[in-house]
Amino acid sequence: MNELRIRLGQNLGLLLAVLLFLTFYLVYNSLHPRGFSATVLVQNANESFVIVAVAMAQTVPVLTGGLDLSVGAIMTLVNCVASVVVNGSPLQMLGGIVLCLAVGTLAGLVNGLVVVVGRLQPIIATLATGAIYIGLALFIRPSPGGNVDDDLSWALTNDLGELFATYGLFEDGEAPWLAPIAWLPVPLLVMVAVVLLVWLPFRNSVTGRGVYAIGSAEGAAYMSGVRIARCKIAAYTLGGFFAGLGGLYLALQTSSGNADVPQAAQYTLNSIAAVVIGGTSLMGGTGGVVGSIFGALVIRAIAFNFRIFEIEPIMQPLFEGLVLLAAVSIGAARVFRVKNRLELLG
Amino acid sequence: MLRRTLLATAAVLGLALSAETALADGPQVVAGPGYNPECFAPWSADTKYFQWPAKEGPYRIALVNGFVGNTWRIQMIQTAKVYVETPGIKEKIKEFKVVSTGTDAAAQLGAIEDFINQGFDAIVTIAVSPEGFDRVIRLADRNGVVLVPFDNILDTDKVMMVNSDQFEMGVRSANFLLKEMGKTEGKILEVRGVPGNSVDRDRHLGFRSVMEAPPNKFEIVEIVGMWDTGTSQKVTADALAVHGRFDGIFTQGGSDGTVRALMDAGHPFVPMAGEGENGFRKQIAAHSGDGLKGYSYGQSPGLVAISIKAAIAALEGNVMPQLISVPIPEADYTTLKDGENFWSNLTDNFFTANEFPPCEVDIKAVDIMAKTADDVQ
Repeated sequence: MNELRIRLGQNLGLLLAVLLFLTFYLVYNSLHPRGFSATVLVQNANESFVIVAVAMAQTVPVLTGGLDLSVGAIMTLVNCVASVVVNGSPLQMLGGIVLCLAVGTLAGLVNGLVVVVGRLQPIIATLATGAIYIGLALFIRPSPGGNVDDDLSWALTNDLGELFATYGLFEDGEAPWLAPIAWLPVPLLVMVAVVLLVWLPFRNSVTGRGVYAIGSAEGAAYMSGVRIARCKIAAYTLGGFFAGLGGLYLALQTSSGNADVPQAAQYTLNSIAAVVIGGTSLMGGTGGVVGSIFGALVIRAIAFNFRIFEIEPIMQPLFEGLVLLAAVSIGAARVFRVKNRLELLG
Repeated sequence: MLRRTLLATAAVLGLALSAETALADGPQVVAGPGYNPECFAPWSADTKYFQWPAKEGPYRIALVNGFVGNTWRIQMIQTAKVYVETPGIKEKIKEFKVVSTGTDAAAQLGAIEDFINQGFDAIVTIAVSPEGFDRVIRLADRNGVVLVPFDNILDTDKVMMVNSDQFEMGVRSANFLLKEMGKTEGKILEVRGVPGNSVDRDRHLGFRSVMEAPPNKFEIVEIVGMWDTGTSQKVTADALAVHGRFDGIFTQGGSDGTVRALMDAGHPFVPMAGEGENGFRKQIAAHSGDGLKGYSYGQSPGLVAISIKAAIAALEGNVMPQLISVPIPEADYTTLKDGENFWSNLTDNFFTANEFPPCEVDIKAVDIMAKTADDVQ
């Protein structure tokens, strides 16, 4: 019981994000003419995947007490790469997907090296590398275009049944055992798989715990023998991988690549907002990727409601900003109740 | 029991979905001519024609805007809201919803798909990217929804789209300058828009296609004004300092800034073709006697009204061109009239070009401004 209380106390931010998301999302679904249907879920999952991936990418460097201003740029770069390479025979497409994820990871690794070896402030280092990645993206795709395999795009941006139907697997996705899960959106499953297979193992590894330790107190972590350089580089690299995943998905979703500079900036800013709403401290050391996922979903769910309610279009950004500010403030409110500031570190 | 109910529901849903798929596969490609060709003019002779099955009105229509935050976009949204309230259109619309998604492609595509899921009949949109709409086009076709991109249109011929001919704006500007200058050589100032944009490219090419055709021998000085009043004023001032005197000016936007730079530098007024800002038209009206013989064309925020009208026409089962060329709203120093095509009591950055007589679309400036005032409060 006591342990449960401690756990809850440590994850207040996450809880709050989940609660906010559920509130907005349930309201949206209750008023939607086709609310609570698989169609709506597939659409929402598609729309949310990229921002969720970019928010995850931002979380890992933030946990070390850093910041990555290049997540939107890496996402955009991989989006442009994907529009060139995810095509052709199944083997070529698979190679293309691997290449895309490798480009994202490599970009993250470069960030990590510049921060650690170059000893630059993360905010400046990633601002610079971000400009380089956007430059590369523009070089690859000076004007929007390219192509991503139609079947692959369609299959991965729909539900599981449609995925199997597209490739003629399991009786065109109509096998009886499949029926109970055929409605699940593919992007949702991919995201769950990434959390289970990439994030959780990383967090529980020595390197992952090192990331948290550095964010809590870098000096103490160093004195305790945490390998600072390795952990920091790993954090930025993993961030690059997540951002690359987002870029790849955007290419699947749009069947094309677009080196859109304002869009990259918007994603970077939203990723920071998502991280904060999700309960990860910008000082580092507490929080996690799952919170940021819900933080990103909160941002999306607010926008979903604009399509249901009559809100003056010009007032929509203002309204969104107010809700986000309120969300962040509620999360920060516990600071006022703390008698001893040291408790915050617990 | 619960399981069985769920399975049954799933089966019914599945049936409903497959029935839907069988019913609608998007528009049929048919032979022209189309409905109301004075308003819905085909882009070129080889534009194809679409026809959707007629639906009973009134309709539910959504406007999915991307970027919001410049005067043009805000005026566009207000124009849409005024237009759907005008008699003759009001009765045909059951619900009109507007969202702005910012420059985020995923959010814009999501919003369009959401409105398709909500059962809207038509969706009017300014695309944030000319590519990437394959999925929503497929879904719109499946669900019998009419999707109408306008202004920033798509690189596809699978949807009905609405725009004005940017190339033609350049051509008309050049012809006006030639007529007013009455000579075939001299020095011309060309103020361009945002680089890399198709609108900037097409207006430029249209202008050059006339100015550089024999027997014309003009020296054309090119500067970049970014469609912005302040930038245009600055770069024009620089150009005047370097080049001295020009015989004619063509600008793509921020036109009033260019005129101000002329006045500041004491450069004599010369024939000039520019955009449809209220400020520019005010200047022409005030100084045409002193030589500012001006021509003003516009990419009108009123395009949204034509797009809504086209969506309704398509839903009623009419034959529509795939790519609609909207007549260019224009005025010159001989046709300007205060209170009609410019307003001396309104701000300079109001876009004046809003009247499309062949389409019976004539949204009065005062109505748009009144709407804006309501929303600010």
